[in-house]
Order: sequence, then structure tokens, then C-alpha cells
Amino acid sequence: MDLAWLDFQGYGPRLIEGGWLTLRVAVLSMVIALLLGMFTASAKLSSSALLKGVATFYTTVIRGVPDLVLMMLLFYGGQIGVNMLTDYLYDATGGRIDWFIDIDAFTAGVITIGFIFGAYMAETFRGAFMAVDAGQMEAARAYGMSPLKAFQRVRFPLMMRHALPGLGNNWMVLLKTTALVSIIGLTDMVRVADEATKATHQPFLFLLPVALGYLAIASLSELLFQWLTRRYSVGFTEAND
Amino acid sequence: MQGHKPLVAAMLEQTMPEPIHPLVITDLHKSFGDNPVLRGLSLTARKGDVITLIGASGSGKSTFLRCMNLLERPNAGEIVVHGESIRFKDTRRGREVADHRQVERIRSKLSMVFQNFNLWAHMTLLANVIEAPIHVLKVPKAEARARGMALLERVGLAERANYYPAQLSGGQQQRGAIARALAMEPEVMLFDEPTSALDPELVGDVLRVMRELADEGRTMIVVTHEMAFARDVSSQVVYLHQGRVEEAGPPGQVLDNPTSPRLRQFLAPKH
Repeated sequence: MDLAWLDFQGYGPRLIEGGWLTLRVAVLSMVIALLLGMFTASAKLSSSALLKGVATFYTTVIRGVPDLVLMMLLFYGGQIGVNMLTDYLYDATGGRIDWFIDIDAFTAGVITIGFIFGAYMAETFRGAFMAVDAGQMEAARAYGMSPLKAFQRVRFPLMMRHALPGLGNNWMVLLKTTALVSIIGLTDMVRVADEATKATHQPFLFLLPVALGYLAIASLSELLFQWLTRRYSVGFTEAND
Repeated sequence: MQGHKPLVAAMLEQTMPEPIHPLVITDLHKSFGDNPVLRGLSLTARKGDVITLIGASGSGKSTFLRCMNLLERPNAGEIVVHGESIRFKDTRRGREVADHRQVERIRSKLSMVFQNFNLWAHMTLLANVIEAPIHVLKVPKAEARARGMALLERVGLAERANYYPAQLSGGQQQRGAIARALAMEPEVMLFDEPTSALDPELVGDVLRVMRELADEGRTMIVVTHEMAFARDVSSQVVYLHQGRVEEAGPPGQVLDNPTSPRLRQFLAPKH
């Protein structure tokens, strides 16, 4: 069998690198999205009007503006903002603080996608928080657990059962949204395929493996989510004895 | 030397301070919005006391119990657990707990048994029993497990140790919840209508365990509708009406010779 086609006309290694970049952007922005979503959901459910207001503003704006626009706003706007800040520091300290901070495309991409999906995660977490029976947390408090301990030991594990379907869904969408990072100059696998296609006029040779690449990541994460769902459903399904 | 003994005893008696009671509550007030629910309730639980709180629904008995471990925040009044007074501070939003650490520590001395059991659904029965000892009291795991198993044995659930709450009957869950409460070695056990959510045939097992606890000298405060339990087991019965103590005393007096017409009506056989 001739395996020469696996070389992808010399683009093979770059495709793999692109796939690796896609995976890194996806996983890192997922981590940011999860943390941000958790904080935002807690803020929305808190009794503080200020926290609620900020959280609602965040989720409304993010969910109402296209991802692509946000990505460009944060990439260009973020650099301008940072430059203004460093200029100000330079002037204010008479030149003693002379920083130059370059927001590279990778950081900008990860932060933007994390920021966007944090808003969607917030809604998923908020619903999951509310689905936990109040008596469970009441028992945690009554037995002397601190708020942090009660969250770790009781609220979080009980909430995950309700959050996982939404989290899985958001993860799949997030994974595909990473393709947007090529707009701000990152060479993810979509960009590699696009360049190769333009150079060789063989779109299927490059786009099909990219599609399969996404599908492979998605299928593997499906397995992970199934495992997590089983883990967090313990105690809720009748065991077969 | 022998002649000194009565003298020493007499001196001791004179200088002996009031014994430290497990729980002393003075003039507790609580409102939900503009609606006053508790209007100046006081109660002293001496060591080994079993105090039952009775009253019609809406009389404030459950709210009173839930104020004792600060699940509800009282608007005024003092709560002293084994000599330690819970500290409050006045804020713009009203009176709040001054030191949350203190409240957490005090809660760990007042184990609560809930009407709906509230066993943690994602943990096995044994894990429920050892959870707070390990994570709140910092008892070593092996020791907590051994004690936990002994407690499950006591309430007749040793062979159910690895079951999840959803796999147990209501009565088993409530006995498990009592084991969880005992595992804290509490100063006082608070029972919030522990048999109200149970099928009638399961009530007996739970009451039997509670009677045993009373017999071994546990200090207990029980909100209940079980008049037979109140009569047989309590050292004191407190009848609440509209957030006030309408009548209180030993069960023979309160339940058999009530002076308040409202209590008489409350105790009258329902038709």
C-alpha cells in the first residue's frame, strides 16, 4: 500500500501542529470558561445587587454579540488598552516603569474564547446550582462546614450531575469556535488546511482530515463526559444488587 | 481531719458556680419581614434534658429550633452553647453573625436531625456518617470509620453501610441521619420533626432509637407531634403559641393538667 499521501504534500507536520494548537486553545479556554462561569453563576445567585448587575451585564453583552466581533475587539482593543495602561504608568512614574506588554495572538485567543464561553457556562452552572436540593446544603451548614468546604464536599459534586449535559454541549461548540483564532493570525489546523488548499487546489485532501480531527477530539471528549456523568450520578441510580 | 469534710463540702457548695449548661437561650426574637415569628423565647437545656417543643403549625417551634444553630438568624436574643455566647454585630442590614468561624464551631456541637433526613445523596451511608467528623472535626479517617461503623451498628444499619440514601427506606435514612448526628459527639441534638415525613409503620424504629438516646443521658431538643413520645421521654415539654411559650413544665403537668385553654384545645382528641 502506498502511504505517500499521508505526507499531505509536505503539509502533514504542519497539520499536526495546527491540530495540537487547536487542542491547546480549546482546553485552556475551557478552563477559563469554567472558572469564569462558576464565579458568574455564584454572583448571579448572590444577594449583592452589584455582583448580580455586573454578572448580568457580562452574560447579556457576550451572548448578544457575535463571537467573531468579540474576538477582534478583544485582540485589537486589548492591545490598545494595555498600551494606554503602560504609557500611563510610564508617565506617572517619570519613566521608572517602562513596560512593553505584547498580547500575543495565542493569549488573546484563549482569553477571548474563555471569556465568551464563560457567559454560556454561567447559565449552565446557575441552573445546576438551583437544581440542588436546598436541604443538602442546609445539612452541610448545620454540621459546621465553612462555605468553601460545603461547596467542595456537597454543592459541587451534587451540581455536576445537572451541569454536565450543558457543559458537554458547550465544550463541543467551544471546540469548533477555536477555528476563529485563525482570524487573529494563529495557525490552527483550519488555517493550515486553508493555506494548503490555496497552494495545491486540493481542498478535500486537507479539509477532510481537519474535519476528522475535530470529530476525533469530539468523540474522545464524549467518552470523557460519559465517564464524568457516571461518576457524578453515583447515588442517584439504583444499584443492581 | 475528718471533721473538715463537711466544712469543705459546704464551702464548695457555696462557691460552686452555676454548672455550665449545654444550651441556654434568652429572649429570642425573630421576624420574617414584618411578620414576627418568635417573640421572646427562652430555654435552658441542662445536661441530659430531653425538651420537646410542641405547638400548632405556625407556632414557631421549627423556626425556634433552627435559630438555635443559626440556620435562621434571630433578630434579637442570646444563645449560649456550653458557656460560649454566639457573638453578633449590628450592620446596616440588621443584626448579623460577628464571627462565622465561631458559628461553624458551635454548629458542630449541635447536631441536627432534619424532617427530610437530608443525608447527602452522593455519599454512602457510612460516608455520610464520617463526613463531618473528618472534614469539620478533623478526626483521623480510620478512627472516624471505626466509630461510624459502631454507630451504624447501634441504629441497626451496619449491613447498609455502603448503600446510598436513595436505596434506603425513609426510616433507615432517618436512623442513618441520627448516626450522622451522633458521630459529632454533640453537646445537644436538635430534632426537627424527625418522624413527620415517615410512613406510619416506620415511625416506631426511629422513636425507639431516640428513646435509647434519651435513656443514655443525651441532651436533646425535639420538635414533634408525637405526644406519646413527649409524654414518655421528655424531661420538659414546651408548648409554643404564636411565637411565645404558652406553657412549659414536666410532661405530667403540661400534657395531663394543662392550664392554658389553648393548650387544652391543642391536646384535645381530634374528631
